[in-house]
Amino acid sequence: MGKEPTSMQKYLAELLGTFMLVWIGPGAGVVAGMLGVKGLADVLAIALAFGIAVAAAIHVVGKISGCHINPAVTIALASRGRFPWKDVFPYICFQLAGAVIASLLFVACLGSQASTSFGLGATTLNSGAGVTIPMGMIGEAIGTFFLMFTIMGVAVDSRAPGGWAGWIIGMVVAGIIITLGPMTGASINPARTFGPYVGNLIFGGPCPWDQFILVYCVAPILGAIIAVFVYDYIAQPDKGK
Amino acid sequence: MKCYVCEKSGNATEAIAVCIVCGMALCKDHLVRADIDMWEGGYPFPPSKLKKKLPRILCKECYDALITQR
Ligand SMILES: [Zn+2]
Ligand SMILES: [Zn+2]
Repeated sequence: MGKEPTSMQKYLAELLGTFMLVWIGPGAGVVAGMLGVKGLADVLAIALAFGIAVAAAIHVVGKISGCHINPAVTIALASRGRFPWKDVFPYICFQLAGAVIASLLFVACLGSQASTSFGLGATTLNSGAGVTIPMGMIGEAIGTFFLMFTIMGVAVDSRAPGGWAGWIIGMVVAGIIITLGPMTGASINPARTFGPYVGNLIFGGPCPWDQFILVYCVAPILGAIIAVFVYDYIAQPDKGK
Repeated sequence: MKCYVCEKSGNATEAIAVCIVCGMALCKDHLVRADIDMWEGGYPFPPSKLKKKLPRILCKECYDALITQR
């Protein structure tokens, strides 16, 4: 009665989940730009697209790979022994690959203007508003902390009510994007930024790699790990396996 | 309690089990044992099958309805 997914099936599930996230979420950023949507309407549209994509991906591939679709989540779960370290590297590789495929296929749908004019929905610091790299790091770390804190509370903790994880996590992602989006682009996911950056590298859009490592990799990973330790300390869930 | 299946054919055989679905009492010739896989995991963990299975005693009719015809 049912077989365990193979490693390759799990990796492909991560690839497809991240593909779905990055085609829909950052893609919404591109079309919002194309339609000339600005201000809060722009942020709300992108946040909603992300929230829906996250919720759907959790329900579709959650039962195959766990639907991390985010290197920060994978590393944070491994940091307290909830996910095997030997699977961390392949999970991240397939997440990044899914994100790159999403961005490349977005160009296939809309042409290179998706990159040159709208940056493939890549996250960059809002330097016009004075957001610096240290400020961006704090913002991304806090945003990813809230994401991982929510995952811990509604999914990892066995006391959480069943069936709500996808919806609640999708909505918290949308909430984080509404607040953090105008500061850093609200990546809270290294793969989500990596895909559009690679697409922009190829097709000519912006890809400030100096921001990538610190703001969009180090900070989200730290924020997620801190969330796991904090949640474990305050809530004392059982091992969560 | 006597086996329901045996009783219908006029035999009175002591039952040793009860079907967990319909509650029919069963002798050792009329029970079916189905071992159910136990799983752990589910979002955000990949599912994995546990080593030990869960025993379930069923009558032939419930076994056919629930398991054979799938
Ligand atoms: Zn009998
Ligand atoms: Zn029965």
